[in-house]
Order: sequence, then structure tokens, then C-alpha cells
Amino acid sequence: MKKRGIGVGVSFYGTGYGNGFPDISRAIVRLLPGGRVGIYCGVTEVGQGAKTAMIQIGAETLGLTEKDIDLIHEDTSLMPDSGTAAATRQTYNTGNAIKVACENMRKELFEKAKIELELNSTAGLVLENGEVVLSFFPQKRISFKRLSEIYKDEIIEAGGEFVAQTTTMDPETGQGAPYWPYTFNACAVEVEVDTNTGIVDLLRAVFAQDAGRAVNPHLLEGQMDGGFAMALGYALFEDLKLENGAMKNNKFSKYLIPTAMDMIDVEKIIIEDPENTAPYGAKGIGEPVMIPIAPAILNAIYNAIGIRITELPVTPENLMKAIREAEANKQN
Amino acid sequence: MVDISITVNDKLYKISINENMRLIDVLRDELGLIGTKEGCGEGECGACTVIMDGEIVNSCLVMGFQADGSSIVTIEGLEREGDLHPVQRAYIEAGAVQCGFCIPGMVLSTKALLDKNPNPSDEEIREGISGNLCRCTGYNKMLEATKKAMEYIKGE
Repeated sequence: MKKRGIGVGVSFYGTGYGNGFPDISRAIVRLLPGGRVGIYCGVTEVGQGAKTAMIQIGAETLGLTEKDIDLIHEDTSLMPDSGTAAATRQTYNTGNAIKVACENMRKELFEKAKIELELNSTAGLVLENGEVVLSFFPQKRISFKRLSEIYKDEIIEAGGEFVAQTTTMDPETGQGAPYWPYTFNACAVEVEVDTNTGIVDLLRAVFAQDAGRAVNPHLLEGQMDGGFAMALGYALFEDLKLENGAMKNNKFSKYLIPTAMDMIDVEKIIIEDPENTAPYGAKGIGEPVMIPIAPAILNAIYNAIGIRITELPVTPENLMKAIREAEANKQN
Repeated sequence: MVDISITVNDKLYKISINENMRLIDVLRDELGLIGTKEGCGEGECGACTVIMDGEIVNSCLVMGFQADGSSIVTIEGLEREGDLHPVQRAYIEAGAVQCGFCIPGMVLSTKALLDKNPNPSDEEIREGISGNLCRCTGYNKMLEATKKAMEYIKGE
């Protein structure tokens, strides 16, 4: 018999290393020949879109477009450390470091413009499309390109650093506030459970993710789809068979991950509730996008057939076993 | 050694290869076409997908000598006079690429699908790329990209 059910999962996730562990990102911003801006930063691109997001944050702070910026990253001989691409920390932590470095760079550019434009002060200077402009008398302006020519023997650059604020938990009681900031999400799914075969089909899904500020909504949606698919595999197929520390089913023929045919359309909702310590309010979402999905699926299975599943994955075999056990308990 | 003649991306190669070379080794090691990626090496992940006489194959499961006389399209063969193929352009625009390792195979599977069926349904698109595993994207942006590519190809 096929039975349908609806389930909801919600989660909150603390980004960064947390628990008082030093969590530091650094960046250097440099004016390059021709007036381009180089951001030197140890941020690592693994497909999550860090490179795009970091360039966007730099461009926003310096009044440039993404095309005017070169991100020089992933070569430790050329740039300061920005920690790992882990703990959902790059957008918040490294994004903050880049924003601070760009703000310091803005001050450097203003100082140089003050000299070249023969001004008394840097007050009233703004950055506009690759130029330093005096806001109330815009005839006074100088381009980044011109500054790079004048200062070709003297590098114009600035550094920036962001140290995340976290506190350690009480080792006795386990109480405290180990993470900051948190990000929040919620997912609802409808499933159809075949009680004769144990197969769980996903029919519909809605997924809402708080990002503080969506630096790049397109990439954010991609992360949400990806997290959903990975969690779908975690909930329904993926079974790591370890024996004496070695994985027995270390082949894709024996360890199934979702294909395009297993995945469904996900209605995605981006929630923007800016975090005031974050770069333009933006928090990371890399890991949290996976978390509420399996609970939602398990709740939907419970709603469909009245059985609580407490072990993953819910393969057809495992589900049939749970159904039979429930039936046996009922008869006793 | 065995002599084969093989057309790759419209160019004819007459080469002498070891009998135990797989097609992926011929492409990568003999011809230097490293756009084709090796994932699992046993035909499960689809990363090494190429188009052989119009059909997608896992180039890790085809022996080099079996490709004798065939015509192969790899990811390097999709660009036309420096312009991206509509499928490549659509993948970029839809944001369907994350880490990128599955993408050469995924793009070729999408192209082969659209070559045969210019108007696939969502279900047919999902089936068409179901031999290509992707751990990053959740496939939905690839669906979007394929629909975009369908429009681009129709507009040509």
C-alpha cells in the first residue's frame, strides 16, 4: 500500500570553529598596474563559490565591479592565511577580513589622492567606479590607474584581519555559548511510502535558508540544492559499511549516492536577516543546508505510516524490517 | 602495440598504442586531451564520459583498440571558433558548475541527449544525465541549464 506523509525539519547551526578556538582570517589588498585591484587571501575555492563571493564583497567595499578585481588565492607563498574552507566560516570570517582590508585600502587611496589632488584632508572623498572623487566638487578626481602610474615604485596596499568572537564552554557543565553567529533553516517534504516494498519516494520539497544577506542568490540556491541532494542520499541510501576501520563498500556500485533521477525540484526560499557583525550581513550556509533534510524525511515517513525511524539510512530493507517489527509489536 | 586510427574532435589520428590502454588513457596520455576526467575508473560515476559515434560511453570501460575507426567527441571538441557550445554557455549561466570535476562528462551527456531529443521533458533530462554523478549541485541547476541550452540551440 502506498501512503503519503508530510514532515518538517528545522535546524540552527553555529558557524566558525567555535568554543573559543582561535579563528582568524587575513587579507591584503594591493593596487596593481593599470589600476586593477588585487585581493591576496588564503580563501579556498572548492566549488562552493568562495571566489565569487569574496570578489563581490571586495568590489562592494571599493566601489568597483567584480571584473576590476583579481583574487589571488590558494598559493600560500603569495598571501596571508585565512584558515580552512571548513566550519561554514569563509563568507563570515574571511569575508569580514576582506571587507576590513578593503576599508583600510580605501583610507590608503584617500591619503594618496589627498596629496595628488592637493587637498587639506581626506574628508568628503568617495570611491566611484575606479576613481577617488571629492563628493562636493567632483572635478577633483583621480583614477586608480593614474595612482598606479604615479606610485609604480611604491606599492599601495593595505591589510585586514578578522578574529571571530567565541567563548569556551564550561567543561564541568557543558554550558556556554560556543558559537557565533548562528544560521537557521527549515525544510518540509512530502513523501510516499510503499509499505509492500519499503521504497520511500520524495514528492515535494520546500526549503528555507537564512543567510543573513545573500551575497550571491544564484550560488546560494546551488548550495541548497546540493545540500538537499547529499542529505537525501544520507537519509535513504548511503550506508558506510566499516569493518576494522576499512570501508567495505568503497565503490559507487555498492555505495549509492543520488543521481539526477533520485533528486526532485526543491522550492527554495532565501531568508535575509542581516547579522550586524557580518560583512554586509552575510553568514555562511555551506554545511547547514544539509542538516534539516533527513529529519524532515523521517518525520514525513512517521506521518505516512506511524513508525519512528531512529537509524539511517532508511533503505527499503531497513524500512521493511521496521514495518514488520511494528506489526509484531501490535499483535503482542 | 596495436595501430588504430581514430577521429577525435574532427581530427584524424593514426597512432600506435599498447593493447591494454583504455580509451581514456589514449585521450589523456597519448593525445593530451586532459579535459576528460577519470573518476571511479569502473564505469559508475560518468566523469570520463565522451561521445563515441553519437553515443555516450564511459571512456574508462572502452579499450583503446575498440575505438579503432570510431569518431569521438571530448569536451575540448565543443567550442566552435573560440565560442562556447550552447550547453557550456547554459551551464555557466545557470550556475550549474560547482567543483567542476563531473562537468566535462555531464556537459557531453547533455549534448548527446539534446542531439537526439531536442525537446526532452524534465524526466528525460534527469534520465539523460543519470549516468553522471555529481556530489555538489543536486542536479537541479543542470536541469535549468539543459532547458536554457534547448532554447539557445533552437535559436541558432
